[in-house]
Amino acid sequence: MSDTAAIDPAKASAALELLRAVDSAGPRAAVVGLTQMEGGWSRHTYAIDVEDPDREGLRRFIGRVRPEDSVLDTDLGQEFEIYRVLEGEPVPAPRVHGYEPSADTPFGGPYFLMERLPGDGLNVWRRPDRELLEADWAAGRGIAEDFVDGMAAIHAVAPEKLADVVVARDFRGTVGRWREIYEEVHLVADPVVEEAYAWILDNEPEPVEPRLVHGDYRIGNCLVGGGRMTGVLDWELASIGDPRFDLGYMALPYSSGRFVTAGSPLLGAVADRDWLDQRYEAATGRPVDRSVVDLYAALGALMLFSIMGTGLSLYAKGESSDIRSAWSRFVFPGLRADLAQLMGW
Amino acid sequence: MFNALRTEQLIAGIGATARTAAGAAGPPDEYARGQLLSAYSVSRLLAAEVSAEAALLAWLRGELLDAVATAPEDPAAAAAVPRIEAATDGAEVGAALVDLLAELRARDTEERVRTSPRIARSSANAPELRTRIHAILREMAQRELAALAARPQGSGSSR
Repeated sequence: MSDTAAIDPAKASAALELLRAVDSAGPRAAVVGLTQMEGGWSRHTYAIDVEDPDREGLRRFIGRVRPEDSVLDTDLGQEFEIYRVLEGEPVPAPRVHGYEPSADTPFGGPYFLMERLPGDGLNVWRRPDRELLEADWAAGRGIAEDFVDGMAAIHAVAPEKLADVVVARDFRGTVGRWREIYEEVHLVADPVVEEAYAWILDNEPEPVEPRLVHGDYRIGNCLVGGGRMTGVLDWELASIGDPRFDLGYMALPYSSGRFVTAGSPLLGAVADRDWLDQRYEAATGRPVDRSVVDLYAALGALMLFSIMGTGLSLYAKGESSDIRSAWSRFVFPGLRADLAQLMGW
Repeated sequence: MFNALRTEQLIAGIGATARTAAGAAGPPDEYARGQLLSAYSVSRLLAAEVSAEAALLAWLRGELLDAVATAPEDPAAAAAVPRIEAATDGAEVGAALVDLLAELRARDTEERVRTSPRIARSSANAPELRTRIHAILREMAQRELAALAARPQGSGSSR
């Protein structure tokens, strides 16, 4: 909880107004904590604590804001609706409490509020968090099991429930989306990326039944607490498509904490690859074809080039002051190394 | 090597982050602290990159010129030579390679369509020059990672 004297009154007032509008806060509720959290590239994230004597006392919320300089041109309202649909599904996700679509808000853009689930976000690029996950794998495996089961649960959601909420894309549509963004923003010619797009299209896999795809499924976008995974967050890249994308993106060394040095030896920093594949196959009844998963890993790397390229472009044009966008330039050598390996160079 | 933001832009960004932090009232929140740590990380990585970039560019240029020299009759390779020789940074080398590989790729695709309706997975059927350039790019990425992982000397901090 933050010092109440440091709370931005305009943001606090806006948050309370939204909570009251959806009957999630009483008339005597007061914001007693409001701080911007570290995470969030395409969204800014706020921890908002509300003391409500007419309800359950202290309640903890998260504010998700789409800033003007977002690295993803995605709809915050869509993300809000996904959370609403997931409330009826066995996918661990927070309950949402209201959406403000106006761009002119004290938070600097549209925002919605959701409950703050127990647990913490992990950063697999930091050694202590990788060690926490390696300890889970060595003993207990509660996080590893929840992580795989969570993905299987996402892929089990009936796509028709989200037909009016998220876009459906086939393989070529997905490749085309990221290629289009890459071409829009790319500031230098990258021969590895160009070759990778050609390689991916040369190796188009046989289609499978479309499912809900998270699109950014990695342990860093989940909450972890008490040796379990408590929630899946960051749904702005969700679509109806090939569920093997989530498996591939997770298999990318980047998702295991690789930066300029190697990350965790565990897949996604969470589990042994054989074990993970077997558990996923058992949960879904669908076999895991590693060659297809690797293809999607390459597409995941290209997606990151596009997203981080957007951030770099905004930064270069002076439309973003987020230094992390500049920092992401140093992610690219590792992604090129991953692509070279995946393409068998 | 194929960098989108120039060194001077990164240096200016580090300075802007420091200035923002200096002008902020009250203790930093998580976001502000993360910005400062990211600026620090950029400074370390940039120092490592600057230390290594001349040697890496010279290595890359030498490897590529050796590779294209094996195909003296190839007009695409011949066209790439002066561009690689004149390149002053990795981005210019990258631009030359994009054009060269696009030409080799198009030729490779024509050949594969002519000889087999089933496209092989992997670059096994790629022409020799294209395969060699792939190997150079793979090695380049590894060398760049190793360079970035090196700790800059004399930075005033051992951490």
